Amino acid sequence: MPEARREAFMARIRRGEKIEAHDWMPDDYRLLLLRLIHMHAVSEIMGAYPEKEWVPKAPTLRRKMSLMAKVQDEIGHGQLLLRVAEDLAAPLGRDRMELMDDVITGRVKFHNVFHMEAPTWADAGIIGWLVDGAAIITQTALLDCSYAPYARVLKRICAEESFHMQHGESIILSLAEGEPWQREMLQEALNRWWEAILFFFGPPVVTDAARRMMEYRIRSRTNEELRQKFLTRYVPRIRAVGLEIPDSALRFDEEAGLWRYTEPDWERWSRVVRENIGPKSQERIALRRMAHQDQAWVREALVRARTAAVV
Amino acid sequence: MAMTQVEKDQVYERARHTSYDVYEIFVQASDLDPHVHVGSLLAPSPEWALQLARENFLRRADAINIWAVRRSDVHATPDDPDWFAREFDRKYRDVSGYADNARRWKRFKAQAMNIDDVIADVRKE
Amino acid sequence: MAIEADARVRDAILGGLALQLADEELFLGHRDSEWLGLAPEVEEDVAFASIAQDEVRHASFWYELAEACGFGQADALAFDRAPSERRHAALCARPNGDWAYTVLRHYLYDAWDAVRLAALAESGDEVWASGARRMLREEHYHHLHMERWVVDLGRAGGEAAARLRGAFAALLPDLPDLVAFAVDPQALVDLGILSRPLADLRRAFVARVEATLSRAGLPAEEIAARLAAHPREGARQTAPDHDAAALLETMNGVRSLGAAVW
Repeated sequence: MPEARREAFMARIRRGEKIEAHDWMPDDYRLLLLRLIHMHAVSEIMGAYPEKEWVPKAPTLRRKMSLMAKVQDEIGHGQLLLRVAEDLAAPLGRDRMELMDDVITGRVKFHNVFHMEAPTWADAGIIGWLVDGAAIITQTALLDCSYAPYARVLKRICAEESFHMQHGESIILSLAEGEPWQREMLQEALNRWWEAILFFFGPPVVTDAARRMMEYRIRSRTNEELRQKFLTRYVPRIRAVGLEIPDSALRFDEEAGLWRYTEPDWERWSRVVRENIGPKSQERIALRRMAHQDQAWVREALVRARTAAVV
Repeated sequence: MAMTQVEKDQVYERARHTSYDVYEIFVQASDLDPHVHVGSLLAPSPEWALQLARENFLRRADAINIWAVRRSDVHATPDDPDWFAREFDRKYRDVSGYADNARRWKRFKAQAMNIDDVIADVRKE
Repeated sequence: MAIEADARVRDAILGGLALQLADEELFLGHRDSEWLGLAPEVEEDVAFASIAQDEVRHASFWYELAEACGFGQADALAFDRAPSERRHAALCARPNGDWAYTVLRHYLYDAWDAVRLAALAESGDEVWASGARRMLREEHYHHLHMERWVVDLGRAGGEAAARLRGAFAALLPDLPDLVAFAVDPQALVDLGILSRPLADLRRAFVARVEATLSRAGLPAEEIAARLAAHPREGARQTAPDHDAAALLETMNGVRSLGAAVW
């Protein structure tokens, strides 16, 4: 009987039907989705911190406002995704509080790029341009996800990412058009981020979880396919603004139709994500603890105020 | 004013058990648009839900009204595709069922009407 | 000749007021932005970030008016003036403290800003008047949002109410300088920029906040007494440098690298 139910579910998936939060779904499907969306949500929120560091220091009023808006959008995306994750987690008896606790206890991971330092204004630019660029590629690849609540939220997120793209490009263009020392600052930032960005798409090996996600039509592209799309799209632009990509092995193999590149240190970066041992991992987790746990009194107060208002 | 860790833990433990409600948010873009569902959020009360909905869902888009509905107050149809079953054609109640009118009007040297022309005509000064 | 001299005097006074308003909005917006990613709940983070952006946007409007009065380019006015040249009320640059301090400060600032903007909205100068009217509309949401916070924290009792009372005690001494002007308010009235004298505006401020603060269980009556003891009739003194200095030190991390287009 459970097998028949599962088979009916898989038939729906194969027909291209969308699954809703209240539909029956195999536990495996729920857990894979929850892991993916939970990490996505948390990465949006943790991803706000490196750029937030540059809000106070933004060099003009316009840059200050656009960076504030951008960081705000990231938190907003975190909100949308958390809600999707919360609805998936509810039948397992887990709520927002717990999903957020998981950041602090290290039970949920966040993307490698958000464990890194952003020491100059050019880093803020590279994050907006290339890290967001990479994130846009992975997110657009999920727009056809079989889980409808995720696909709906991604549609909204991608629409807002189009502003992030312009915002990042605008910072980069000013630096590229600027003084020699500004261009140098930009080059140094690119050198710092390149390997991390290549790692961001994940290892080329198709893991068992990735294979199952493809069967469930949660995702349809491999890590390597997405990395290749990123390279095709961005390498010419990076070179066009006069930057040098810090990988002498990088070239397009015409015969294979593939980019060849020096592989990032998969093991080292995986450990950064798994063990939260990047240069900024612990500091940023501490920020989340401050927001979430140290201000629990605020949440409690609003619930009490509601009762006080009724009485 | 600073709390000890023990006090913080106590507050936190209490807060764990006081959860917010889920509110479904509907936004009306203009007088001539219906309220459209845009997503949900967590809030301690309907008033807070409205306050928070504005910036969580309308950072860019214009709107004239927001509804916040506690999720438990939303009644939905069952997850049963047959609930919406519509097997036989209903062209008799559709414009497409009357495609032959245009041809037939020709015989009378007149044109078939369509609703857009009527609207445009009535609006014309 | 005399007309030119009048125009110069007028620009000096109006530019001075524009700089005060700009510095206050920029510093408060900057403090607000420090909460990005740190607000008590994700939904509030987003809402509060919009309020922060509005303040910086308003600052930008006032800096542009100061620029029009011949004070220099808006970004330079925002970022490159020394702490001692700033015209803000001390309250706007204070470090954030906890959430109770943050929302109560914001509530009090917004309440005064609304009174001040309403007076400027009746100004004889259309640029000032229309700018003030537009800001006043945006400030409405800020006011509702902060009022709800203050009342709910107060009404919750316990820890939240205690923190709110602490915040009130900390903010009270800053109010006489907030509810004042960095240029002589009488000169603003004479120029037709301010439609009502300071004493009127102060009464309007007290009337606006009293009921809300009482609902939040705060000793609202202390405000009127405190203001009466410190009338600040002329141009009030500039705020002590240290908070602005700390703010500007972070702000100038990029611009201080050298002359460049950003």
